[in-house]
Amino acid sequence: MIKFKRFLMYAFLCVVSFFSVFPLYWMVSAATNKSAEVISGRLVPGTYFIQNFKALMANQNVGRALGNSFKYAIILTLVSLVISSLAGYGFEIYHDKAKDMVMNIILLAMMVPFVATMIPLFQMFSTAGWLNSTIGFILPTISTPFLIMMFRQSARSFPHDIMEAARIDGLSEIRIFFQMFIPTMRSTYAAAMTITFMNAWNSYLWPKVIMTDATSQTMPMVVANLTQGYVTDYGMLMLAVLICTLPTAIVFFCLQNAFAEGITGAVK
Amino acid sequence: MKRKILAAVLASTMILSLVGCGGGSADSAGTADTGAAADSGAAADTGAAADTGAADSGDAAAAGGETLTVWCWDPAFNMNAMYEAEKVYQKDHPDFKLNVIETPWEDVQTKITTAAASGDLSTLPDIVLMQDNAFQKNVISYPDAFVDLTNSGIDFSQFAAGKAGYSIVNGANYGVPFDNGAVVGCYRTDVLEQAGLTVDDFTDITWDQYIENGKKVLDATGKPLISMQAGECDLIMMMLQSAGASLFNEDGTANIVDNDTLKAVMETYKALKDSGVLVEVNSWDEYVGSFVSGDVAGTVNGCWILASIQTAEDQAGNWAITNMPSLVGVSSATNYSNNGGSSWAVTANCQNTDLAFDFLASTFAGSTELYDNILPSGALATWAPAGDSDAYGVGNDFFGGDAVSAKIVEYSTKVPSNITGVYYYEARDAVATAITNYINGSDLETELQTAADTVNFNMGQ
Amino acid sequence: MSKPSKKMTLYRKHNLTGWLFLAPGALLILFMSFVPMFRALMLSFMTGVGASMKNCGLLNYTRMFKDTVFIQSIKNTFFYLIIQVPLMLIFALILASILNNRNLRCKGLFRTMIFLPCATSLVAYAVIFRSLFANNGIVNLVLMKLGILDAPYSFLTNMWSARIVIIIALLWRWTGYNMVFYLAGLQNIEYSVYEAAKIDGASAVQSFFRITVPLLKPTILLTAIMSTNGTLQLFDESVNLTDGGPANASITMSHYIYNMSFKYVPNFGYAAAMSFLILILVAILAFMQMKVGDKRD
Repeated sequence: MIKFKRFLMYAFLCVVSFFSVFPLYWMVSAATNKSAEVISGRLVPGTYFIQNFKALMANQNVGRALGNSFKYAIILTLVSLVISSLAGYGFEIYHDKAKDMVMNIILLAMMVPFVATMIPLFQMFSTAGWLNSTIGFILPTISTPFLIMMFRQSARSFPHDIMEAARIDGLSEIRIFFQMFIPTMRSTYAAAMTITFMNAWNSYLWPKVIMTDATSQTMPMVVANLTQGYVTDYGMLMLAVLICTLPTAIVFFCLQNAFAEGITGAVK
Repeated sequence: MKRKILAAVLASTMILSLVGCGGGSADSAGTADTGAAADSGAAADTGAAADTGAADSGDAAAAGGETLTVWCWDPAFNMNAMYEAEKVYQKDHPDFKLNVIETPWEDVQTKITTAAASGDLSTLPDIVLMQDNAFQKNVISYPDAFVDLTNSGIDFSQFAAGKAGYSIVNGANYGVPFDNGAVVGCYRTDVLEQAGLTVDDFTDITWDQYIENGKKVLDATGKPLISMQAGECDLIMMMLQSAGASLFNEDGTANIVDNDTLKAVMETYKALKDSGVLVEVNSWDEYVGSFVSGDVAGTVNGCWILASIQTAEDQAGNWAITNMPSLVGVSSATNYSNNGGSSWAVTANCQNTDLAFDFLASTFAGSTELYDNILPSGALATWAPAGDSDAYGVGNDFFGGDAVSAKIVEYSTKVPSNITGVYYYEARDAVATAITNYINGSDLETELQTAADTVNFNMGQ
Repeated sequence: MSKPSKKMTLYRKHNLTGWLFLAPGALLILFMSFVPMFRALMLSFMTGVGASMKNCGLLNYTRMFKDTVFIQSIKNTFFYLIIQVPLMLIFALILASILNNRNLRCKGLFRTMIFLPCATSLVAYAVIFRSLFANNGIVNLVLMKLGILDAPYSFLTNMWSARIVIIIALLWRWTGYNMVFYLAGLQNIEYSVYEAAKIDGASAVQSFFRITVPLLKPTILLTAIMSTNGTLQLFDESVNLTDGGPANASITMSHYIYNMSFKYVPNFGYAAAMSFLILILVAILAFMQMKVGDKRD
C-alpha cells in the first residue's frame, strides 16, 4: 500500500515534470534545426546547431548583451533585496496600526498597469537627466510592493523571543537585522533572489524606453530583434532564447537548496 | 550603499518639488525651472554618467555634425540598406558616419509615443524607419516630432505615387519611401501541374476564377491554394486597395457601412474560406510554415514574402509569381495592390537637418548604385529610375529564371492609391472582428454596422 | 496611561526604528510609483489626440462603460481570474508539499523541472505554445491519433478554446513560480510537527489541511494577492498567443489599454482612466483577501 502510494507520487511528479519540460526540450531541439524544419514541426534534434550559432553571432552582439544583462540584473537584485527586506522587516517586527495602513497603501502601487504610469515616469526621469543611465534603468524597480510584502509575510515567523534575548544582550536593532534576521531567513532571501533576478533579467519595456544606445542592449532585446525581420530564422531565434533562459535556470538550480532543503533548527 | 540610498532620496525629493511646480499638465517639461532641476538631479547621483558610458549616446549633434543616428529593425534588410547607403554617401563625404541602432518596429512606435507625449524628444534619433500605415497617425498626433520634407530638395515625383501617398499628411511629404510592398500572387508550379494548370491560368484573373482553379488543385492534390492568419485582415486590406477603396472617406470619416467594395471583399473572402481554397491558420509562424512545408500551394501577399518563401530551399525552381486576382462586380477593380512597406522619416530631434536631407536625397532618392547594391537582400525600389537598372532584369532561379524584380517594380507602378486614415489600426481591428464573426455565420450588414460603431466610438474623443 | 514611562520610551524608540527601516523602500515607492500614478490620475480627467490635451471631467470614466471592446475585455479577464488563480494556487500548494517530503528522491531535479517554465523567455514560450496548438501541431496530432478528433481543430481561432489555451499557458508558466514561495514558506514549519501528526495517525491529506495550509497562511495570502493582481493586469499571453482574438474573445484589459496608448491614435487620458478602474478592482479584491487572511494570531 505504501509502496503503491509512493509509486503514484513519483508517477504524478513525472507527468508534471514532463509537461513542464517538454516545451523546453522543444526549444533546445529547435536550436539545433534549420528554420524551415522548426516551423514544419520537427521534434528531434538536428545537426544545425553550429550554423545557428555562427549566424546568431554574426547577427547580434550576444556577448555585450549578456554582459549588460548580468550587470543590471546583479546590481538590481542586490540593492533591491537589501532595501525591500529592510522595509518588510520594519513593517512586521515593529508593526502597529499606522504601519499596517502604510503597507496597504504601498500595495496599491502595483495595481495600476505600468503602461499608464510609464509616460509620467519618463517625464520625471527626463527632467532629472536620468534618461539613458544605469540609475534610470534600475531605480523604478528597486523597491517593489511585492518584495516588501514577501519579507513582511515571512518575518511573521521570525521568533520574537530571540529578538528579546538579543536586545538584552545589547545588540542594536540594525545589528539584529543583519546578524540574526538575514541568516535565519536564508530560505526567503534565496527565493526572493531567484525571483528578483528573473524579473530583472527579463525586464523589457522600461529598459527599452529609457535606454537609447545600441551599447546598452540586453539579452531580451536581442531576442526581440530576432523576431522583427520580414524573415524570422527560427533556429537562430530559439538558440538566442535558450541562451537567454539558461542564466535564470542556473540561478534557480544553485539557490534552490537554500530555500527548499531547509536549514531547520537554525531558528530555535 | 548608504550613499546610494541618500543620493536616490535626495534626487527623488527634487523630483517631487518639480512635480509640485508642473502641476500635472501633460507638458510641464521645457519650463524654465526644469533645466536647473536636471542639473541638480544629475549632481545628486554622480556615478550615473560614468558607469553607463553615456559619452556615445545617440545624439548626433554631439558627435561633430557628420554623424546621423538611425532606427530600423531588420539586419538583413533595412539595416543593410542603411549601411549600403552610408558607403555610397561616404564616397563624396568621407567624414560622414551612420549610427544604426537596431530597434524593432513596435519599440520604435513605443519610444516615439513616449518621447513625444513627454515633450522630451532628445531620445529620438535623426532618422527613423516608419511603417507606412502608421504615418498618418503619428504625424497627426505629434506634428512637432517630425520634419516636413516637402522643401528638403528631395524629388518625390520620382517615387511610385501609390507608395509616396502613405507618407503625405495634409499635403506635405513626411517620408522618403523605402521598400516596396507590391502584392504578388505566388504559386507552386509543380502542384499546379498536377491539376493541369500553369501560372498563366492565374495571371490577370478574377477571384471567381481563382476559386474555380483552386477547387481543381484541391481535388487533384488535396492542397489549399492559400493560407491566411485568422483574425488578421491582410488579405481584406489588399483586396480593398486593389480597387482603390479604403475604410475611410476623404474627410477622414469612416467608410464601412455603405461601402460596396468592402462588402464585395468580405463576400469574396467568405467564399474563399467556404470553398476550402483558403485555409485559416492560427499565427504568423504557422502561416509561413504552411507554404514552407508544402502544405499549401501558394500565397498572395506583399512582395517581401518572397524572402520567406525562399527559405524552403528544397522547393527551388518550383515557384512562380504573377499579379493578384481582381474583385468581381467592382468597376474600379485591378490586379494590383500593396501590403506593408515603410519609409524614412526625419525627427525634430535632428540637429543637422541639412545633412539628413542631403543624405536621403543622394541615396534613397538619388542613387541607382544603392538600389543595385541592396537588390540581393530583396529590397526592391519604389524609386522609378532604379527599376530601369540592368540588375532588375536578372533572372531568379528559385522562380524558374523569371526576372522577378522587374516584374514587381512594374506591378508597383500600377497600384491604385488609397486613403490610409489616421484611425487605420482601429478600423483594421474592427473589420477583423467583423470578418471573423461573418465567417462564423453572422449577418454581414450587422457586423459592418458594429465595426463602424466601434471605429466611430474611437474617433469621438 | 498607567504603563511605566520607561516602557513608553522604549516603545517610541522601536516605533521610530521601524519607520527608519521601512523609509528607503517606502520613499522609493512613493516617488517611483505614487508620483507617476498621481500624474496619470490627473491625465485621466483629460482628453485629446496626442500632445494636445484638455480637461474633460469624468468623461473618460463614463466613456469606458459604453466601450463594447473594453467591457468584453473585463469579462475575459475575470474569466481568467476565476478559473486560473484558484487552480494554480492549489496545484502549486500540492506540488510544494509533495516536494517538501524528506524521503523523496531527485527532489532538486523535480523542483528545477517544474520551475523551468517561468524562467523561459516569453518569446520562446509564445512560439512554442502557438506551434503546439497549431492546426498541424502536436496537440491536434495526438487527439487525432487517439480518435478524439477527425480533422484538426483550430484552437486559437475558436472563442472558448482560445481562452482555455490561455489558461493552460498561464498554469504552465506560473505554477512553478508560486511553488517557490510555498517551498520557502514550508521551511519555517518544523518537520517534527508532521512526524508527530503521523504518529497520531493523521493521513497525508489531513496533515495537509490541518498543518500545511494554516501555517502557510501568510504566504498563501501573498501569492493570492500577487496572482489576482497579475491576472487582472494580464498582457503577455493575450498579445503573444492569440493577439486578443478571435474577434476580441480573449483580449485582456491591459492589452486593450496598451492598444489605446501605442497601437491606436494615442488617447492617454482614456488609457489612464481604464488603468484606474483596474486599480479599483484589484484593490477591492486585495482588501477582501487581506480581511480574510491577514490576521496575526
